[in-house]
Amino acid sequence: MNWFLQIFRRRRIYDDLAEEMREHLLERTEQIMRMEGLTRAEAAVAARKAFGNKAVIEQRSREVWQWPTLESIWGDLRFAMRQMRKAPAFALTIVLLLGLGIGSVTAVFSLVDAVLLRPVPYPDPSSLVIPWDIAPADMNIDGFTEYPWNPIHYHALMRETKSFRYLGAFLGSNFNLTGLGDPAMLEGASVSWGFFPALGVQPELGRFFTRDEDAPGHEREVILSDALWRSRFHADSSLLNHDIHLNGAAYTVVGIMPRGFGFPRANEMPGDFTFATETELWVPMALPTVTAPFTSSELAFIGRLQPGTTLAQAQGGMDLFAQRMDREWPASKGWNRSHITPLQKQVAGDSGKPVLLILSAVAVVLLIVCFNVAGLLLTRSLARQREFTVRAALGAGRVRVLRQLLTESLLLAFAGGAAGIGIAVAGVQLVKVLGPKSLPRLQEASTDLRVFAFAFLITLVTGILFGLAPALGAVRTNLVESLKEGGQKLGTGTSHPRLRSALVVSQIALALTLVVASGLLVRTFYQLLASDGGFRSDHVLTFQVSLPSTQYPDRESIARFYQRALPGMRSIAGVESAGITEAVPMGGPTEAGVMRVVGRTYHKGDPPPMVNYTVTSPGLFSALGTPILRGRDFLDSDVLSAPAVAIINRALAKQYWPHEDPLGKQVLVPSQKVPATIVGIVADIKHSSLREVPGPEMFEPYTQNVWPSLALMQVVLRTKAAPDTVIAAARQAIHQIDPGVPVAKVSTLATLTGTAMAGERFSMLLVGSFGLLAVLLAAVGIYGVISYSVAQRTREIGIRVALGAQRGQVFGLIIRHGLRLSGLGILIGLAAALAMGRLLTSFLYGVTATDPLTFVTVSLFIAAIAVGASLLPARRAASINPAEALRAE
Amino acid sequence: MRTDNNSSRSLFPGALEMMILESLRRQPAHGYALVQHIQQRSNQLLQVEEGSLYPALQRLLKEKLVKAEWTISPSTNRRVRVYKITRTGLRHLEQELSRFEHMLQGIALVLGPGRFAAE
Repeated sequence: MNWFLQIFRRRRIYDDLAEEMREHLLERTEQIMRMEGLTRAEAAVAARKAFGNKAVIEQRSREVWQWPTLESIWGDLRFAMRQMRKAPAFALTIVLLLGLGIGSVTAVFSLVDAVLLRPVPYPDPSSLVIPWDIAPADMNIDGFTEYPWNPIHYHALMRETKSFRYLGAFLGSNFNLTGLGDPAMLEGASVSWGFFPALGVQPELGRFFTRDEDAPGHEREVILSDALWRSRFHADSSLLNHDIHLNGAAYTVVGIMPRGFGFPRANEMPGDFTFATETELWVPMALPTVTAPFTSSELAFIGRLQPGTTLAQAQGGMDLFAQRMDREWPASKGWNRSHITPLQKQVAGDSGKPVLLILSAVAVVLLIVCFNVAGLLLTRSLARQREFTVRAALGAGRVRVLRQLLTESLLLAFAGGAAGIGIAVAGVQLVKVLGPKSLPRLQEASTDLRVFAFAFLITLVTGILFGLAPALGAVRTNLVESLKEGGQKLGTGTSHPRLRSALVVSQIALALTLVVASGLLVRTFYQLLASDGGFRSDHVLTFQVSLPSTQYPDRESIARFYQRALPGMRSIAGVESAGITEAVPMGGPTEAGVMRVVGRTYHKGDPPPMVNYTVTSPGLFSALGTPILRGRDFLDSDVLSAPAVAIINRALAKQYWPHEDPLGKQVLVPSQKVPATIVGIVADIKHSSLREVPGPEMFEPYTQNVWPSLALMQVVLRTKAAPDTVIAAARQAIHQIDPGVPVAKVSTLATLTGTAMAGERFSMLLVGSFGLLAVLLAAVGIYGVISYSVAQRTREIGIRVALGAQRGQVFGLIIRHGLRLSGLGILIGLAAALAMGRLLTSFLYGVTATDPLTFVTVSLFIAAIAVGASLLPARRAASINPAEALRAE
Repeated sequence: MRTDNNSSRSLFPGALEMMILESLRRQPAHGYALVQHIQQRSNQLLQVEEGSLYPALQRLLKEKLVKAEWTISPSTNRRVRVYKITRTGLRHLEQELSRFEHMLQGIALVLGPGRFAAE
């Protein structure tokens, strides 16, 4: 039956019913008049008594025709809307409060969803895995857990593995793009043929590399990212099958990837690997079938499991593989074990912790909002006490009233939820702009259906949570007592003030916990900024130059370039000092290598003495502002024909010569034939984050270096004025030497530091603003309770004043009330904050989770807020005129 | 101040409906007359709240076990809504009655022989 018609039909049914019952009562009345000789009025009362509660009976009769719950809910809803219209300011306040709470939680949830929950955007993501090489069980180097693979592993795995449907190797590498105006440095990846089929993403245009193309001699092909294709090639589809010039060679464009595909990304991979922020192009890796001895291990793998293969089975397969490799390739014995990580988990990395921290903070805010709104509703339900009493007297059951009140709460909640979605949409945009680059998949955050479903759920829970307390309070009232009380203001129902106080105390406790957490994060942030990173970040410009291998094939030609470039840099007006290095501070990790001290014996089986190994130039330390603690800097005269020299950092000095003078000692790195003499000790430089504990590091001058890694170097300039004033001159100086050398990643050291701190700043800002919001809400809560109690105690205060109480005493009375509530809240909050501290420890730096300064400051702050919030009601109480107060009753 | 409006509920579920159908089977009637009839027939043993009849009537209407019609009562000259039992109602009543008899027998057996002599 058409529901619309049914509703019309139902109106007739109700009319019939009403008339029928009216007629019944009339007939009965007349009969009583006849039989018992009563007056009409008396008879009518008797007839109604015999009939029962007409309103309830009529309602029950109507319910027969209704979808029972739905329709009475509609009735409740209409009533609830009338209630809202009656007090629009009240309703608006609550809707805004809820909107703020639900909106913040929803926005943060969409972040959590994008970063942690949503499957990675590749087909059948659950069968995508990344196998990492892991170190032998008895060795742990600097806490690194994931190691790259050797080409030997790749070939062996490709030959035998049954677990993987596809296995691809990949490796981050940079390319100089020439032939299109200024040379540009592009961030790309070399990939084996299995890489794209494993990920399962088809190119938007063109095709993947074939198996044959992934071989030496055939590798001059390239697939471009959508972003690169649009930004550099104007989305020109005729580019397909045409050549572009990379590193001085012609590469044929065979494919364009779909928009958004940028795998691998640096923030989705372990921090000690070098990948692009967003990979712009892919070329075939073309590994030779026979791996030359001493080929370095630098490959990452991506695997697509066979259908039906579990992670455990695949891991088992890899364990067998390790055993076999240990036998067949004794040189790498112990280094063949692996750990298979699901891609989903790999991509999320350890971003889970900060994101969940923020989620917990915002959940606390929502809880406070709930308590706050519950307090407001409770006040209002007191004002509506008579309404409930009358309803109960008219036959409304407790469940009925409860349901009515819950409907009102849910209506408010959903209005708040709607406002919240608006706030969430804006919030997500804000977070995308402000969020740190280190957060993987941040740009995928959006307010989609999943997020709306979450908002709906949260709204429902919220509505029940804040609606339940006042509703239960209202239902529990004693009918007769309430009726007798009539309109008297001095309520005897003491349970409500206690409930309200409990709500406020919890709000204060929660707010304190949150403010303590944000206080600790703020202190952490400033401790990090103040921590000694081994450099001064002001007035430093850095940029990257990469020398094309075609023009700079060997060490001599590379060294010659820098030997001309460095004096050029130093002669720029406004440059104080200049240097080059492989790795600028806060720019990411540097190379590591084995270093042996000449004259010491090393036993077979001992863990190799690994140190960070960085190639630099004279002037670098003064450009960075790194203090030379002892000895000297490199000199321009430290060339290949001169005695080999090295500089070490303090950490290395302490580790290897705790009781001796390292100056003059000799060290050897594997590929060097002549040992280098230590000529200087510098302060420890932090590389990736200000949090890190710097490890041992040794520096060598580029003029004596034998490693071929110098093609890509960072130039560091310390300037007198603002660093960006010398950018043009520096670029010009480079291009004067060779116009084909791209200048990339121009930045200041301050910016790099800021970027490295962006994650910390983000957590601190979000948790901090939620903390402030919490305090504000708690202040409103205190204010509400105190002013309500002043209004309730007007008479009592009037009597006190009439009996001679001073204004100041009344004032103190009210303030003390505020302090009592906040004191209790602070105590509970402190206990909670202490308990919570352990969970926070991993976020802190330079401050303990029980930092007394933070705890005391925050407690005083909250107490001050409480006093401030009680001030206004206290003044009102102090100005009560006893004559008026007593007459008002 | 709560009135005990559960008296009709203290009958077992469906009892009131069964009595209404049985009354209507004998003779169509309007609500007021139905109440009178049930109370008289039960020798005033069943103190059914008059109003409680109406939800039951609405249920029967909805199930199409009875039908209703507005007419003018010849005796009181009032507009009354007269209920008649339908064919479905008759069948339903038969089933309910036989189920009820079974139930009574069962209860009687449990409570002891001879206590409820068959009429």
